[in-house]
Amino acid sequence: MNFYIISILLALLLFSFVAAFALFAVYAERKIAGFIQDRLGPTENGKYGSLQTLADILKLLQKEFIIPSAADKILFSLAPIIIFISVYMGFAGLPWSAGVIPISLNIGVVYIFAIISIESIGILMAGWGSNNKYSLLGALRSVAQVISYEIPSGIAIVSAVMIAQTLDMNAIALRQGIGTPETIWFLGFWDVSHVGGIFSWHIFQAPHLIIAYAIYFIASLAECNRAPFDIPEAESELVAGFHTEYTGLRFGFIFLGEYSMMFLVGMVGVVLFLGGWNTPLPNIGALKLADWTSGIAWGIFWTFSKVLVIVGVQMWIRWTLPRVRIDHLMDLCWKVLTPLAFLCMLCSGVWRLLIM
Amino acid sequence: MNIEQIVFYFFAASVLLSAFMVVFIKNMVRSIFLFFVTLFSMAGLFVFALADFIAVTQLIVYVGGMLVLMIFAFLLSSKTILNKSEVKESNLLGLHHIPGLFIALLFFLILFITIYQANPDQLSWVNNSENVIQVNDNTIHFIGVNLMTRYLIPFEIISVLLMMALIGASHLARREKKI
Repeated sequence: MNFYIISILLALLLFSFVAAFALFAVYAERKIAGFIQDRLGPTENGKYGSLQTLADILKLLQKEFIIPSAADKILFSLAPIIIFISVYMGFAGLPWSAGVIPISLNIGVVYIFAIISIESIGILMAGWGSNNKYSLLGALRSVAQVISYEIPSGIAIVSAVMIAQTLDMNAIALRQGIGTPETIWFLGFWDVSHVGGIFSWHIFQAPHLIIAYAIYFIASLAECNRAPFDIPEAESELVAGFHTEYTGLRFGFIFLGEYSMMFLVGMVGVVLFLGGWNTPLPNIGALKLADWTSGIAWGIFWTFSKVLVIVGVQMWIRWTLPRVRIDHLMDLCWKVLTPLAFLCMLCSGVWRLLIM
Repeated sequence: MNIEQIVFYFFAASVLLSAFMVVFIKNMVRSIFLFFVTLFSMAGLFVFALADFIAVTQLIVYVGGMLVLMIFAFLLSSKTILNKSEVKESNLLGLHHIPGLFIALLFFLILFITIYQANPDQLSWVNNSENVIQVNDNTIHFIGVNLMTRYLIPFEIISVLLMMALIGASHLARREKKI
């Protein structure tokens, strides 16, 4: 019985974390947008406007559920739940620290990849259920984009997995630091098994993984439907895309799904390429920085801070770059990223066989 | 009844129920979204058969790929086509149903006889087998080793077939040169 109680508690913990993160991230996003556009952002509620998103959520909770009279009621009301749950289930397979993982799966990477792809069903349900041409167009654009960008991101993930030789998220993170079970080499020539730190991360174990990470990062932006790839909700053309008709808590769930998706893709990238929970500080002679900054609590700290940096970069890009046109977007995916990702996969195979 | 059985029967019931509803429901778009429930519950059943990799592959291939393509085809087709199929009077014993019923019954008969004659509970290679998968086994490891040794030729043939399909698709999508 204990097993079930722990599982339920873990699920509740993850949910409250996701909700708290979304609150924090919306505030951060508005502040960063303000900074980049040389204005102040929210200032009125609380110190520096820090209670602004809490007030927003309170407002959303009180709003009425409005269902358009021509909408398909069942699909319309189920869609936000499916969108959120598909992202939320992905969190089950992510490691926070050495051994701190909700469920340790042999096929963790594939599981996360599969469960995220369910989101597109939810988006299509929302687009069709709303019975609104803007919603439908937004949903079609979104799904076309998500499906196309799954290919380069999947191949980039495979190239990292080929270096790691395992699909277990926990084991992948484990072999990028000082606790590694096998010998690891910095760029293939310097044994860093006991040095650890930034040198033992995947992107420095095999240099072509830097390109693979760049591909994964661009594709992950597209999978979250964030600028510069936010044509599904391009407000100048489509009002608000697939969530035009949603009000109140339903809109809140779609929003929550988007922000938790940002955290999720950031964390998958961190675990696969940027060393997971391992510290960026190496052992230098008698200065055992890596040994001192490793451990369960340190692991959670490093994971969290790395992912926050990635999420910060995502926001920075959103407020810096203009929106990409749809044909440019597909060109970038199919003519640039996909061939490059295949090249990275080939390099991984050669690197694994000849150099490691 | 322990909790595993309850979850198993829950998944099995939702597979059957949603599959029936996919067939009988009038609203085509709803039925295709219900098909998602069927496929997802099937993935749950695969997990119970200790085939976790197949469960995940089912989600990627069928839910993430095929189902989305089917929905795309529906959403892009004209609404009048969708409405026309709903108008048709459905009478289970109508004359136009007889060929379909006949084929369905024959197929069921074939399946029933095959399974009855095979008698899967008493097969010697099942009862006497020593390689039984445990819950904690790393199944993906076995799959990888088998694909690269025992089933290498089928694996390679499938990859060549997929390559042919890819080349064919890109050839069809190509803009024709003006002569």
